[in-house]
Amino acid sequence: MRLLGATVAMLVLAAFCLAGSAWAKAGHDQPPAKQWIDVELDGSNDYAIHLSVNPRRHLVLQVSKEGFAAEYMTRDVLPEADRVKAKLRGMGVISLRFHPRGPVRHPSIPGCGKWRPTVQPGVVRGTIKFVGERNYTRVKEHRAEASIEEPRNWTCRYGSPFEFDPREGEWTSKFSATGEGFFFLARRYRPGLLKGSPVIFFVEEGEAFETASGRAPLTIYRQLKVPAHTATFDDAHPEHLVVAPPAPFSGTATLDRTPESVFTWEGDLAVRFPGLEPIPLTEPNYGFDYCLREVGCFKQHVD
Amino acid sequence: MGRGRLSVIAVGFMVAAVLLAVAGSGEAKLGRAGKIEVQRATTTGVLRLGKERGFRLFLSMPSPRVVLFYAVRIQNLDDDAFSLTYAIYATRNLGDLGHGVVRARFGSLGRASLRFRPGRQVHGDDPPGGCEGGTETAEYGSFAGHLSFRGEGNYFHVSSPRGKAYLLRSPRLRCEKGQAAEPPPRSLRKYVASSPLFHDDDSIALLYASTRSHGRYVGITAMHPEGSPPGADVELGIVDARQGVAIGHGAYLEGFAGTLLTSLPGVHPATATLAPPPPFHGKAAYSEETGAWTGTLGVDLAGLRLPLTGPGYRVHLCVVNPLTDKDGCEFFKTEPPYFERPARLGRVLG
Repeated sequence: MRLLGATVAMLVLAAFCLAGSAWAKAGHDQPPAKQWIDVELDGSNDYAIHLSVNPRRHLVLQVSKEGFAAEYMTRDVLPEADRVKAKLRGMGVISLRFHPRGPVRHPSIPGCGKWRPTVQPGVVRGTIKFVGERNYTRVKEHRAEASIEEPRNWTCRYGSPFEFDPREGEWTSKFSATGEGFFFLARRYRPGLLKGSPVIFFVEEGEAFETASGRAPLTIYRQLKVPAHTATFDDAHPEHLVVAPPAPFSGTATLDRTPESVFTWEGDLAVRFPGLEPIPLTEPNYGFDYCLREVGCFKQHVD
Repeated sequence: MGRGRLSVIAVGFMVAAVLLAVAGSGEAKLGRAGKIEVQRATTTGVLRLGKERGFRLFLSMPSPRVVLFYAVRIQNLDDDAFSLTYAIYATRNLGDLGHGVVRARFGSLGRASLRFRPGRQVHGDDPPGGCEGGTETAEYGSFAGHLSFRGEGNYFHVSSPRGKAYLLRSPRLRCEKGQAAEPPPRSLRKYVASSPLFHDDDSIALLYASTRSHGRYVGITAMHPEGSPPGADVELGIVDARQGVAIGHGAYLEGFAGTLLTSLPGVHPATATLAPPPPFHGKAAYSEETGAWTGTLGVDLAGLRLPLTGPGYRVHLCVVNPLTDKDGCEFFKTEPPYFERPARLGRVLG
């Protein structure tokens, strides 16, 4: 968890630095406008694709389908709020211009009260080309529906594609493991709290592609959230836990206490993200923790 | 636990031992409210005798009436793990330390007849926080006279009082309740009893084996803290008395994988095996069913080779789940007086 947090923080920081340096290089002294561009696209194989550029000119291409989501983040090299130009390191190019269409709207956002954003609908024209790893999805468009949004509060953004169910924080027990570049989480809930399944498996993986100069022009996060039956997360005994999530996971993993009083996390559990080889989730050097909501947590550190 | 932590602790141990007498002071005014207690005037002193056969040797006078001779050795177990072994000998000072005189007999091991010779350096300190009174002065210098001491089995031999020394003169102080230093213990045994170096609060496996016979106390503790890598922290304390001299031996180390193996929580009869690295050798086994502490476990300390198993041992084993038993292993807090829970570190070496 700490490793993941640090990695994410570093990546975000690096992205901010990149944006800042690119901005300075372009010779622009004024701060960027606080506007977002959002473009909705349909990828092949039923994937939804959402392209957004934030006020700091970070371009994020989000691919999602059911419990899977991936973010490809790079920088937009143009300072104008209505124009975007970026390369996705061999995975595509984005070069477009926004054209307003229709009246400005101020849609309400649940939980945001009076903090209504200003949304200008329109279209983008130019080139949008993206090909996912091993062609798991692709999109090529020269025109798409889009909007420019100016939120009044950073948490109240209309164009945000992901929703969060606050009840997911009400787990009763959870297990998490952190390895190099990934984070795995299993949570159990009271029966009936969530629609469908009382267990949710979550895995996140990230990688950054660096250039020779040390900059990171492309960062990729992949997430997978899979609901499952109770039997897939067997933690009835607090010192013997078995995890066997459904596809796209494969294999099983066990947490056990050894006679050394060390907890081990072993097995052949792996996860397969679209377009990637399976990633093992049980290496010996992975730290992990297990928590019971009403009691507390224990952690196993690894040297 | 954690590799390398003991090295830090060990250094702290040494520094605390040497500097305790001149530690911490600060100007303070007594609060109007609250009760007042008196800290008696006292004189303490230290003579550093250098290093011999890997042992750092000190003569310490933690109170005017007590003289300690102690030897401490720190060794590498591997690149980042250490072990610390010590021997402490305590006897009465027959001289007047207030006048810089030390006269002590350590039975057949040695004797001291010394007089402090102050150098030019004197350091004054305000009273410690919460106390008021005169200035505490440290006089730096050397001791002259006769000093001879042989460790058991000749593991070291000192024949001269050469070395840097100081006397610390603390005046009578008026302190807020609880701020005065505790009076020194009367029993010499308390000066040589081992002190806990590792915290057992977060242990999820803790074994304590102890015996007392013919005036000798032996206690060995092994613990595995929650979340730490394979291995266990091990502490050994031995308290003995001969010819009017209280003698303490001990060891602290971070044991590797395999040092302490136990049955899991809730398993009965519980079992454990203990096999720490040198200076220990062999292995001991405990069974809750029979209460027996058997095996070949022993220790080789300076001048002392001792088996650490046998029918006279009482063993306590605590194996808990970190979630279902949040208080961890707490039997040290509830044990009857059979436990000789040692004094604080500062008291031992101060």
